[in-house]
Amino acid sequence: MIKEIYRSVFRGDPVSTDKGKTELVFYNLWLHIHPAKVRKEHLKLHHTWYLGFIAFYLLVILCVTGVALMFYYHPHTTVAYKDMKDLTYVVFLGQFLRNMHRWAAHGMIIVVFLHLCRVFFTASYKTPRQFNWVIGVFLFLLTMGLSFTGYLLPWDQLAYWAITVGTNIASYVPIVGSEVRLLLLGGHIIGDQALLRFYVLHVLLLPGLLIALTMVHLWRVHKDGGLSRPLWKLDGGADATREIAMPAGQEKTYGLMQIITGKPIFEMLTPAEEADTVFSYPYAFYREGVAFLLTMASVMAISLFWNAPLEALANPAKTPNPAKAPWYFLGLQEVVSYSAIIGGVIVPALLVMALLAIPYIDRNPSRRLKDRRLIITAFTLLVIANIVLIIIGTYFRGEGWSWVWPWMDRAGGGH
Amino acid sequence: MKTRLPLYFLLLSALNLALVLAGIAQALWPSWKNYQRGYYRLAAQGESNAAAKESVRRTSLTVQQVVLTGLHRVDRCTTCHLGVDDPTLNKAPQPYAYHPDIQQHPPEKFGCTICHGGQGLATQLPDAHGYVENWNQPLLPKEYITASCGKCHTRGDVPRAPEIAEGRGLYERHGCRGCHKLDGVGISIGPDLGREGDIRADPLWLSRHFRNPQAVSPGSAMPAFNLTPREIRSLIVFMLSMTDEEMASYYTGRSLVLSVAAGRQLFAENNCMTCHGIGGIGGKKGPDLFDVAQRHSSEWLDQLLLNPQFNDPDSTMPGYDMDINERAALVRFMTSATAADAEKILAGRPSNLSPEDSAIEAGKANFVYYGCVGCHGDGGKGGIPNPNTQGGQIPSLIHVASDYMKPEVASIIQKGKIPPVADPKRPAPPLYMPAWKGIMSEEGIQNIIEYLWSLQPKEEATGW
Repeated sequence: MIKEIYRSVFRGDPVSTDKGKTELVFYNLWLHIHPAKVRKEHLKLHHTWYLGFIAFYLLVILCVTGVALMFYYHPHTTVAYKDMKDLTYVVFLGQFLRNMHRWAAHGMIIVVFLHLCRVFFTASYKTPRQFNWVIGVFLFLLTMGLSFTGYLLPWDQLAYWAITVGTNIASYVPIVGSEVRLLLLGGHIIGDQALLRFYVLHVLLLPGLLIALTMVHLWRVHKDGGLSRPLWKLDGGADATREIAMPAGQEKTYGLMQIITGKPIFEMLTPAEEADTVFSYPYAFYREGVAFLLTMASVMAISLFWNAPLEALANPAKTPNPAKAPWYFLGLQEVVSYSAIIGGVIVPALLVMALLAIPYIDRNPSRRLKDRRLIITAFTLLVIANIVLIIIGTYFRGEGWSWVWPWMDRAGGGH
Repeated sequence: MKTRLPLYFLLLSALNLALVLAGIAQALWPSWKNYQRGYYRLAAQGESNAAAKESVRRTSLTVQQVVLTGLHRVDRCTTCHLGVDDPTLNKAPQPYAYHPDIQQHPPEKFGCTICHGGQGLATQLPDAHGYVENWNQPLLPKEYITASCGKCHTRGDVPRAPEIAEGRGLYERHGCRGCHKLDGVGISIGPDLGREGDIRADPLWLSRHFRNPQAVSPGSAMPAFNLTPREIRSLIVFMLSMTDEEMASYYTGRSLVLSVAAGRQLFAENNCMTCHGIGGIGGKKGPDLFDVAQRHSSEWLDQLLLNPQFNDPDSTMPGYDMDINERAALVRFMTSATAADAEKILAGRPSNLSPEDSAIEAGKANFVYYGCVGCHGDGGKGGIPNPNTQGGQIPSLIHVASDYMKPEVASIIQKGKIPPVADPKRPAPPLYMPAWKGIMSEEGIQNIIEYLWSLQPKEEATGW
């Protein structure tokens, strides 16, 4: 009887057989994004660094902890802060879950950014993966949007003033800037309307978009020949070109087999290459599992020892000096401190457009570092500049955005 | 790779499980549970038989909280301070000690933090006591705890907290209003003091400030008033009581503490004795009020004070604009009023004054109430330092009558005056004469002028 139930759920052959291993992947909705067999080099750590996986696992952690937190949160200015205090002091596991959510959110921004850098440096955005890079850039922007909208929800001083500064940066955009800010906040000040809008964006709209785009992102990885392949396996060429089964013609109709482009891995590979592949089960799954467990363990370990910040109740009358945007926008804020229009409009617009355009501007077919010196230098300089500006904004800016050394004790209070 | 992978996997799974368990353990054994166990061990000692001891000791541990919608707070202090309302624990160590006199302000109505400060929502130390960053209301030190009485009891005397009334009196007498706004009345040379208890919750800071303002606020224009330690303490308590807690009318309605003394004061202030006598002493137009509380119920008396014609359509008694507390205090005085009280009240009344003298008296009162005295000194003798003015201090007003015409003085009071600067290169003098037009009435200003003219020493005025 039990065996019968088991067989009805897991319908493939036992996984001790090769057929079973294949069926495990094919017959499973969640696993069939994988190929049944993968190249060994896909499993190597030092090409992908598993950053895409880690970003995805952080997203899973964020969704799970986020839903748990939703049970205790009211998006209303009179109770939101009290809900935070309740999570901290009386809700079972409340503090732990909030810590996990907070630290995983910061982690996701870092990991998504590192993933973007990895894809850039390995030139994995080249044909046929150009559009997937574009989707990836949007995923990066969505990740920041989610972090930004989540920032306001605790309704403490940190939340209130970070969002004040952040939305002020947005309002520097000519013509539409102040309208966008109005639309985002539902008014001219950050109040109940803003909190509700940020909440809906944070728990519904942006996660929905992010998950939908993530699905497309993964699907296209699958369709474009699987994970990016390391250079040392490719002799410098593109890792997979999109094969067209039949050239399109007006006069002809096509059968399904003529549309399908990717061949099963068995057919594409020479016998020598075939020897270089392993079954996804268990090798790929175990490795992904290890990545997941490491991600999970890191987030939990940090959450055990460091509590998510919660400052005093939001007070529009009491401006902290300096009021700082969320850390990932501090590079922009640093530029804004010199010129609002450059930092608030020109730099972010150019950065996003440049990121989106990279695969279309960069027509160089080679993926070798030595053939890509110019673009690598430019990208690296931009990344370093942003990191340096963020560090300056975080640690070296004090009252009135003046330069302070982080080891100097900042005198507080006083009016 | 083939053989080692599952081992890593298992080890990592174990690590994750351990971390989950650590998280659960952290959530499962908060420090307040230890305090509660300690409390029930202590309470079990008071039980007579073993079974009762055991059942007390096994009381389930839960967070205790008082939800105070009227005070916009939730206090969980009693999660650890379980013995506050148990008089048998008056010698118990903290956090279990009994709170003396708690019946007057029962915790279920008032909670704890409205008086004591601290963070009511927190259930662990040091957060609960508020000694943490990002909580600006730490526990109020015991010697200043009476400041909290002033949050609700904003008028009259507060029993066992004389500092409040004294501090309030000092505020009025020293002319603080001349620079600081309070309850919307006053001048904004210095900061509004309406929320000073929130902004400056530190008694030490306030103490240093009152002794020497420049020591804690460099460049402050505030003069150092020559205050005794007792006066400084009263002012600190009064300042700490100035918070803008949101409260339901249940609490704000207790602004005046009902007492016989408060009733007696109201009885005197409203000149009730013009018409009424007590025990034969006082006015004869209205009925004598001795034993009036025996003849009528307190509800009847309250209604009478609200609208006399409702009780007796033929009554000629005017209605008084008193709130429920004031009426109740008056009724309370009625229950104990004797002829001796009436004599005392009559003795305290000022004798009849000529119109000139009454203008001077009113002017003198205005001079104090509006805070002129704060800068111009007691009796207008001046002497408060004001750096970088000619003379370096605020001039005396004693000889105003010989130096100015009355309309000139009226114009200065109405429009204000910037003092003449000694050295234009140095910062402008911090103190200046504010414009009082719109704050003081025309008549009030005239009265002050009459008062200033009265200050002129008589022998010097003979030349006029």
